[in-house]
Amino acid sequence: MSDTTDTIDILIEYIRKETGFEGPLAADDDLLTAGVLDSFNIVSLALFAQERFEVDLDGDDLVRDNLAKLSSLAALIERRRAEQA
Amino acid sequence: MPASIPRYLLKTAQRLPDKVAIISRERSATFGELLQEALTTSQCLREIGLAPGDRVGICMEKSIDQVVAILGVLFANGVVVPILPRLKGPNIRHIIDNSGMVAVITDTDRLGEVKEFAGVTRLITGHGAVTEDWPNLPYMRRFVQALNGFDRIGNDNAAIIYSSGSTGRPKGILIAHRNLAEGADICAEYLGTGEDDRIGCVLSFNFDYGMNQIWQTIRQGCTLILHELALPNDLFSMLARERVTALPVMPVFLTKMFDRRLKVDTSRFDLSSVRYVCSTGGRLSADMIADMRGAFPTARIFSMFGLTEAFRGTYLPPDKLDAFPTSVGRAIPDCQILVLDESGEECAPNAVGELVQRGATVTKGYWNDPVNTAKSFRQHPRFPGETLVYSGDKVYKDENGFVYFVARADDMIKTKGFRVSPTEVETEVLRHPEVVEAVAFAVPNITIGEDVACAYTSADGKPIADAVLKQFLKSQLPNHMVPAILVHFDSFPILGNAGKHDRKVIKQQSFARLGIAPPAHAA
Repeated sequence: MSDTTDTIDILIEYIRKETGFEGPLAADDDLLTAGVLDSFNIVSLALFAQERFEVDLDGDDLVRDNLAKLSSLAALIERRRAEQA
Repeated sequence: MPASIPRYLLKTAQRLPDKVAIISRERSATFGELLQEALTTSQCLREIGLAPGDRVGICMEKSIDQVVAILGVLFANGVVVPILPRLKGPNIRHIIDNSGMVAVITDTDRLGEVKEFAGVTRLITGHGAVTEDWPNLPYMRRFVQALNGFDRIGNDNAAIIYSSGSTGRPKGILIAHRNLAEGADICAEYLGTGEDDRIGCVLSFNFDYGMNQIWQTIRQGCTLILHELALPNDLFSMLARERVTALPVMPVFLTKMFDRRLKVDTSRFDLSSVRYVCSTGGRLSADMIADMRGAFPTARIFSMFGLTEAFRGTYLPPDKLDAFPTSVGRAIPDCQILVLDESGEECAPNAVGELVQRGATVTKGYWNDPVNTAKSFRQHPRFPGETLVYSGDKVYKDENGFVYFVARADDMIKTKGFRVSPTEVETEVLRHPEVVEAVAFAVPNITIGEDVACAYTSADGKPIADAVLKQFLKSQLPNHMVPAILVHFDSFPILGNAGKHDRKVIKQQSFARLGIAPPAHAA
């Protein structure tokens, strides 16, 4: 299993716990469009990701394009991890 | 001109056919295109059998297609019933059944969920690729030549908006075409919304406040820019990029826009185009006002207040914000706010009474609910033949006629921009096998207005782990209704001999155990 798959699994677990959503969650789903995330819990997701993966995300990172899909959020986390390691 | 949104759109589309009316991430539409799409949609709906006065649910992502679906239903002489996509099943079913809905327009992301609760109601997707696989408006519109069969008068029903009530299921507020049209005129008048404005719309079209932005746009021929507020950086860059001039918000949005943890530096964005910011749905804190002024130095700030039963009641003129920061302001144009004592007489200045509203925005009552309608929509001897809204809310007016909120009618909990009924929360908490009794109430939370809290007693007298109880509730309730705070009681104090819980004492004891001061005033 790659790091990215692990990261996505951890994010999925968090989203399920936070939202109670039980349907399928794919890495490339737009979770805002799908209504799984809303404007409140997407912020919680960002804050969770910062803490859980010990990466520092700045204001420019915290935009829709980076957070709405698990694949793009995992990629951002990996990128920052590599830079900040 | 007879007051209705379809007539307003027809007129604006004739005057400004090529002006951009609405912009979203995916596309934009001119007034001409908006009219054409609304008319063809109405014809599609007629062809599948929609009759005048039929209720049509709209359960869609915020999009131009959602606006077209809403307008299409109005043009088809139907009645729009918004369905909040994240409502859980039982509430969706209640809205469908209570309104007697004949069809639901939804989108592919929500189709699965809606299908489960729709029963025999017809389902149509209102967006997406042009396809024959499923009744789909973009596909059907290709075969239709628009006909203008709109025949509603101002008094006819235009929409039913379901809002949480104090007893059980949501109540449907019945809105006339005239209410929508006059709501557009009134707001445009006191806010000064004009043809050159560009409204940045972060609000949902499932509620009257968001819908009113569509109506103002259509009435004034301005431009509406749709935006889903998830993250502040995206919002501020949209406001700068689109040169937004008008920004309607709610307090709950402001706490997100200016959330310190998200490290947003608003000075990096050119926000000089923003002329006004207006807010309703809760009191503006001093921090919120300071944040708005910091980010939008040239904008006028409107603090507003309203009952869903009458859409909007008061606004505080921007130049009075510093002098009267805790007031909800004065009556909006074409409406009057009365503060009445128990005998129906008007209260003296600074004396607390019930807020009663009369005027153009007063709706027709609760759909399919004559008992509650008779309670809240009543006549007053001073205004024979006229129906006024009795809010039950406690307010007072000062010597200048500024209104101050004191307490809500029924202890509704205001959280994250929603009104949550304690009864609805309690009903679900009580479904947990270990829970015996439950009393829900509000706990002040500066970020989201109020937290939903619930005190409960259990069968074995032991507390249920918070995580376990919350997990159970998350499968039953929309997220905003799941209590953030749970307080376990060995037993509940009882009020007198009526066998009723003493809610007041339960609340006081909970506050004491949580170590927080109970609120003196609610807003």
